[in-house]
Amino acid sequence: MAKIAILKFPGTNCDYDVLWAIKSVGNLDAEIVWYKDFSVKGWDAIIIPGGFSYGDWLRAGAIAARTRAVERIAEAVSQGVPVLGICNGFQILIEAELLPGALLLNDSGKFVCRWIRLKIEKPKGPWLLLAYDGQEVDMPVAHAEGRYYVEDYIQIEALPKIKYLDGWNPNGSAYNIAGIGSSDGLVLGLMPHPERAAEPILVPRGFSTGGSIVFKSISKALKSGW
Amino acid sequence: MPLSKEEIELIKRILGHEPRAEELAMFESQWSEHCSYKSSRLLLKLLPSHAKHVIIGPGRDAPAVEVFPGVAIVFKIESHNHPSAVDPYNGAATGIGGIVRDILTLGAKPIALLDLLYLGNPRDPHANWLVRNIVKGISDYGNRIGVPTVAGDTWFDKSFNKQPLVNVACIGLVETKKLLTAAPEPGDLILVVGNSTGRDGLLGSSFASRPLSEDTDKDLGAVQVGDPLIEKLLIDVIDELVNRNLVKYIKDLGGGGLTTAISETAADYNLGVEIYLDKLHVRESDLTPLELLVSESQERMLIVTDRSRLRQVVELLEHYEVPYSIIGSFNNSGRIKVYYKEKLVADVPAKDLAHPPALERPYKPPVKVIDLWKSISIPEPNDIADAIVKVFGSLNIVSRRWIYEQYDYGVGIRTVLEPGRADAAVLRLLDGTNRGIAVKGDANPRYTSIDPFRGGANAVAECFRNLVAVGSEPLAIVDELNAGNPEKPEHYWFFAQMVKGVAWMADELKLPVVGGKVSFYNENERGEQVKPTTTIVGIGRIHDVSKTLTIDLKEHGSSIMILGTTYPELGASEYLYVVHGIEAGEVPIPRPSLELRVASLMRQLIRNNYVKSAHDISVGGLIVALLEMAVTGGLGLNIDLSKVPTRGIRRLDELLFSESQARYLIEIDEGNVDKILKLASEYNVEASVIGKVVDKNHIELRYNSRKITVLDLEFLAELYYNNLGKAIEG
Repeated sequence: MAKIAILKFPGTNCDYDVLWAIKSVGNLDAEIVWYKDFSVKGWDAIIIPGGFSYGDWLRAGAIAARTRAVERIAEAVSQGVPVLGICNGFQILIEAELLPGALLLNDSGKFVCRWIRLKIEKPKGPWLLLAYDGQEVDMPVAHAEGRYYVEDYIQIEALPKIKYLDGWNPNGSAYNIAGIGSSDGLVLGLMPHPERAAEPILVPRGFSTGGSIVFKSISKALKSGW
Repeated sequence: MPLSKEEIELIKRILGHEPRAEELAMFESQWSEHCSYKSSRLLLKLLPSHAKHVIIGPGRDAPAVEVFPGVAIVFKIESHNHPSAVDPYNGAATGIGGIVRDILTLGAKPIALLDLLYLGNPRDPHANWLVRNIVKGISDYGNRIGVPTVAGDTWFDKSFNKQPLVNVACIGLVETKKLLTAAPEPGDLILVVGNSTGRDGLLGSSFASRPLSEDTDKDLGAVQVGDPLIEKLLIDVIDELVNRNLVKYIKDLGGGGLTTAISETAADYNLGVEIYLDKLHVRESDLTPLELLVSESQERMLIVTDRSRLRQVVELLEHYEVPYSIIGSFNNSGRIKVYYKEKLVADVPAKDLAHPPALERPYKPPVKVIDLWKSISIPEPNDIADAIVKVFGSLNIVSRRWIYEQYDYGVGIRTVLEPGRADAAVLRLLDGTNRGIAVKGDANPRYTSIDPFRGGANAVAECFRNLVAVGSEPLAIVDELNAGNPEKPEHYWFFAQMVKGVAWMADELKLPVVGGKVSFYNENERGEQVKPTTTIVGIGRIHDVSKTLTIDLKEHGSSIMILGTTYPELGASEYLYVVHGIEAGEVPIPRPSLELRVASLMRQLIRNNYVKSAHDISVGGLIVALLEMAVTGGLGLNIDLSKVPTRGIRRLDELLFSESQARYLIEIDEGNVDKILKLASEYNVEASVIGKVVDKNHIELRYNSRKITVLDLEFLAELYYNNLGKAIEG
């Protein structure tokens, strides 16, 4: 059975939530791995979950991105291992320059926790295998530093993207960007929390289980390729 | 509060010699009101705390209740009023830190936070600064430790402009068999784990046990500064220590610091202690023994283990990079001996230190309170729609979205009903079943400031109703009593009456008060007490979280039914304050027997799947509850007010805004109306259909055929969701 590493730093707090979603929705095996104990070998995919690694000191994700564990993640990517960063995990991937752009303080200046609507564009790779271009999904966001910034849209035009629907951008992100992938989709990072939107019991009235597509996609991808 | 002359004499007698500076500091810290409950202990004995499902009642750092066989909930409330008045950001943040550590002491995993904030008028610049920073402090700390803030209570009142009340509660989950109930034994080792000890929060408990000074800058050194990253590491490492059965006993280093932690532990278990202060890991190397003893540096915990497990404990702490020091051990002596660099700096009997004599404080009702209860004569408003909009738009009514969206309420994936959706928050256990719990906190500072007995009782009743309205079975409560200066008989009277009101209602509703906290000296700089406030946090059991109820209207064509009787009870109401500028009158009468009957009926209706949405009627009265259901559901209503069961009501404003207790609104299918009315009469509860849900953009009110007013849904929704943000951010 394929096995997924869920990387835990000091201050990571969505590790167990992702473990639960991987097991219950993705029907995959997974394990929480303390960052110091992490090595590339033996993992079919890697997830960096949300939280506040190193308390968000300096900048969200900045310290974790400079650990040995994240250097090893870059190695894993070059070997073709899928990597997903959720919320703080996305911030870490951006800080580590495994994904383009920057994530800045929300335009409100405040933390925001809210359900929002999203649209998937140009899906590619294992994490969005089951998604179609233009597919609308719902998930909650919960972050203070999620305002995506990129100098020129040309840099990301061809990449897989997850965008806030018009009117649902919670943080002032440029081009409504909520998440972005590498050109082959092997690496994906997103601010919303798919693990909180993968079971009907967690979804408020008027929204749907938009997060399950990520876990179902990786499950299928690891079983039958992408 | 510095020690009194009598207390110093007593300490001399206990020690048999002139106290050393260190010994005196230990007594000052431990004998502070905050740590010792000396002014409240006798009255708190009135609170009922026993029930079959109560595993641990008051006495430990937190109580525990068995909610399902083998599943325990540990929960507790705490106040950080004084630190938050001086340094709102750090004061509120460290309040969260402290309450979470209380939960950890029993080996439970913290799964939810509640914040109960009694704040000043946000249009006052100082109060506005406090509001923003208190919320930001909770947001930054609570979010970083990965515990969702799922519910709370908020009240705005100018009496809190300078001295806000910041009450926080934490809910923990643990298998009953893993609860840390063992006693430390002679020979066991004492470790201090977590943050290093520094100079912050020196004698913070003593500072919290007196009124704010004129010059609050002087008190800044007594406010602790928090580090949520270390707190998060403590949560993780304690979870693992408990799961691997490596610790025997845990205690928080909270108010009173090391002194309180060791003296209470030793006293509770008839032990003695030997500790070596120079072993503590410290932030600054020049700390004196006295400072080490009373520092209230945050994120520190005392853990106790036996020598055979020490190696594994240390390995685990080092793996998670949690700083620690082994500072001493327990013995049979009954004395606390403190050494610093091989020199004995304190030698005191544990029990005498831990438990100062309780004080029997005199109290008397202030004459001006009686005057508040006189009958009130007000004109009926000419424009009833205007009055409705004023009450509905009041900051004590509107959505708290501006606050709760700054909190991560979803982390942990247990939150089934998040803030804003229902009368209480609902969490699943996440154990593969559909079982869960409901949690809610309530207070009405206006009620308790006008009639503390009824106010205390009504806070318990409202919490009970909120738990019932989501479909849970209320099991237990904790209370936070925020009062004035216990040395002033006219302040202390409020405290005494609040305790008695809570005790009475808890007894009547068979809700054990399993724990709580008292905060005195909540006075402004002129020595006037801020509104004395009873805060109640309760938990309820839910067998199937997928069947819980929210307040939002669900469907066009449903019937709206009211359960319970409406009396002319406008005293102390939101309406009286907002529309007429009066804060007086008779506080609504607590009605425990009716509460129990209506709650039993509600549970029966929910079991029969008759209820589509439910909402308790509380502050603002019937009209506010109706409008909240409409706005959150995005559906309109047609209401005939003549159908509301009443007694003694003569006027429309009484009908709309009365805050009579023991009432609920439910949305039901028309086809079930007769069955429900029959059940209501079996339970001896007045019930009546008062209108219909309509797929329209308005709420129409009439009385028989007389049209009263039509309110626009979009206008009300805008008011409801944005008024608080506008008031705070301008």
